[in-house]
Amino acid sequence: MAHHIHIVKVHHLTLSFPTRKDPNPKPVLDDVDFGIRDGEILGLIGNSGSGKTMTSLAIAGLLPESASIVSGSIKFAGKNLLEMNPKERRAMLGKDIGMIFQEPSTALDPLMTCGKQLEEVLTAHKDSSMTPEDRHKTIISMLGTVGFATPEEICGRYPHQLSGGQRQRVLIAGAALLKPRLLICDEPTSSLDTVTTVSILGLLKDLCHKLHITILFISHDLSAVRGFCDRVMVMKDGKIIDKDTTSDILNNPKNTYTAELLTNARLDTRILGFEPATVDYSRSPVLTANGITAGYGRSLFERVKTKSADNNILHDVSLEVFPNEILGLIGSSGCGKTTLIRSLLGLLPHSGIVNIKSSSIGAIFQDPVSCLNPAHTIKWHMAEALKASDKLKAFAGSGTRAERNSRILARITAVLEECGLGAEYLLRHPKELSGGQRQRVAIAMCLIQEPSLIIADEPFSSLDASSSAELLKLMTDINRERHTAFLLITHNIHIVRQICPRVLVMDNGRICEEGTTSDVLNDPKSDCTSRLLEAERQIHGV
Amino acid sequence: MQSKAGYLTGKLIELILTLLLVSLLVFTAFSIIPGDTARVMLGPQASESQVDLLRAQLGLDKPLPVRYGEWLWGLLSFNPGTSYAYNMSVSELIGQRLPVTLGMSAIAMVMVIIISYPLAILSARKPGRLGDQICSVIGHVLFAIPPYVASLLLILLASSLFSLLTVGTYVKPSDDFLGYVGCLLLPSFAIALPKIAMSFKFLRSSIIEQRNADYVRTSKSHGLSDLKILVRHVLPNSNVSSITIISIILSDILGGSLIVEQVFNLPGLGRLLLSAISRRDFPLLSGIVFYLALITVLLYFISDIASSLADPRIRLK
Repeated sequence: MAHHIHIVKVHHLTLSFPTRKDPNPKPVLDDVDFGIRDGEILGLIGNSGSGKTMTSLAIAGLLPESASIVSGSIKFAGKNLLEMNPKERRAMLGKDIGMIFQEPSTALDPLMTCGKQLEEVLTAHKDSSMTPEDRHKTIISMLGTVGFATPEEICGRYPHQLSGGQRQRVLIAGAALLKPRLLICDEPTSSLDTVTTVSILGLLKDLCHKLHITILFISHDLSAVRGFCDRVMVMKDGKIIDKDTTSDILNNPKNTYTAELLTNARLDTRILGFEPATVDYSRSPVLTANGITAGYGRSLFERVKTKSADNNILHDVSLEVFPNEILGLIGSSGCGKTTLIRSLLGLLPHSGIVNIKSSSIGAIFQDPVSCLNPAHTIKWHMAEALKASDKLKAFAGSGTRAERNSRILARITAVLEECGLGAEYLLRHPKELSGGQRQRVAIAMCLIQEPSLIIADEPFSSLDASSSAELLKLMTDINRERHTAFLLITHNIHIVRQICPRVLVMDNGRICEEGTTSDVLNDPKSDCTSRLLEAERQIHGV
Repeated sequence: MQSKAGYLTGKLIELILTLLLVSLLVFTAFSIIPGDTARVMLGPQASESQVDLLRAQLGLDKPLPVRYGEWLWGLLSFNPGTSYAYNMSVSELIGQRLPVTLGMSAIAMVMVIIISYPLAILSARKPGRLGDQICSVIGHVLFAIPPYVASLLLILLASSLFSLLTVGTYVKPSDDFLGYVGCLLLPSFAIALPKIAMSFKFLRSSIIEQRNADYVRTSKSHGLSDLKILVRHVLPNSNVSSITIISIILSDILGGSLIVEQVFNLPGLGRLLLSAISRRDFPLLSGIVFYLALITVLLYFISDIASSLADPRIRLK
């Protein structure tokens, strides 16, 4: 193999978070040793908590104050970064090392126009030769490079006036403005939909070639590196356990853990064993929605001012969910999926009819972190869910208070166990659980009410591949054993393909296509389905 | 999309409706309280016919809606009638006393801002450290002291220990402006103390929250210095929420000053209000209450406009 010039060389790096109680805790990064070659795109893959982000922050010098580097060194273009003082390191940020992050919606200051925020990158690195006009020109040309047709207009916009994908482009422009040699991308696409993801990955690849920027690409999704990264490293528990070219990793994994990640990422039905129930379409549906039209409220004065303006997000949406069915609902961001759910759940005023056959309908949402009350235990959450349903009396039965309580506790324990959480979780608080476990609690809270339908709004989007696969298995098990129907909203077409017999495609607040999954996905009739499929194909190569 | 002018018009209409509602409440409250003004003014010895005559003179025999209309018109044209007790125009009476109350509130507000802002910024730099904890404890203590207790303590301190500031005398601003400020310093401080604690606590947590925001991380990755991040990003963002709190504090201060005036023996609106209540002086009482409400509602209006200037998301939803 030819000799490669390494732009970054991480040498036996060990990092931990010592506290007063525990001065020598288990290291977060354990003897991490790798190099980033000049001009390459290096993928860093691992489940949440594996130490990917800490590795990138260590290179950038943005580690939290409580972190301490126990041993090792990081060299950037031959200079030892750990020997530099904070001021010298700060001078490198933006100029030599650029970074973009996961959540573009909050990564820009909401009070400042995009142009002003980009200008700060230039003014932070005092270059006296630059006049304000030069700065403006540089920004405009960079905004053009990242794919904005009207850069002048974007300059004057506030972040809330841009979409998620547009914000990520602005952030990429900011990171690439001074043409750094290294660009660290920490899950830049995990909160974006498939179509936007494809375009952002294309842009990053473009920047790599045009501006000769080396990229460290961090992701929890092994399938996202296909066709994008040159080499891939796999991290687990703070160690790098596998390192190879992308094609070798994807096609011929030597490490068993890498193979497992790959199985989870591909959602291989035969290995993981998803068996959704069979659906009988002749039975009457559990949920019927007819002609739903809804939008977000305007204040009294706005309504007086503009009477006729159509603010509706949903236009005449009708759907049916049959017993036992896992109905998929796909569409790009902003197409009205979440608004539809809110209308179905009765959380949003709407016109049209929603008919639910059973007494209760459960819901789980995208972000398991903020869905649970941090002040209370899991047992409390379950008891609340039980109290909220009309099933409490049926489970508690008669008898003394103690007898009733013990029956309720037994019921809670049984449901939690069904969701894969043992009795030891009863007294834990949400912050002691991982994202996947919290999502299980959310499902358990639905199940205890014995709903005939659970609406799941992108339950996988904040989970890594392994947790997603486990959660998906749980959902199909529940579907098979309890005959609970699911309405699954997702941007992952791959999941729909695996477990949904029927699928709806939404675009611009309307349902543009509906039918059995194989029909819709193999022979799309509408443009929006084709667009989604094309994006899917580019990312996963399916 | 909503325009700036549209937002302003909407807020103005809200303001006017609120004021109308306030006026209706004030008028109804004073109309249903028991007691006959004419009887109180003339004393128990007066005959029934004398009382009726006075009632007609004061316009108290007219039907309620007419009285409400006349009263409201008087208020809006800044001529809310003549005080029964002082036999002077109400606007003149209020005009005499307003400099005391407003001056005190303004000085108290300035104190709140110049003390709580720097302390909050320093405290939020290293949350949980010793300095931060000391500030927090002092803040809790101050928060728990009601203004009239603080007033008494301050009078004691100022008169016995320092004898620097004059207590209990009032100097008109037209006579000696520095003297006017001087005699209001102590009472203002007494009102400001708990508000300083309140505003400090709020600002501190809001700055800490903003320092952990994602855009701060972005700015760090752009290579900005800590000071620049604080001044350009953290403070403006924490100001968006502080504006509302500051306006609440300001209206609280206005209310608080009414009591402190009593303790410091200052001829402000608070004492006028008390005497108006005890003498059933309806024109004076309703005038003071309405104009104080007007000032409060205007404050909130200004704070709404200020918020919309500070936060583009409010004006362009």
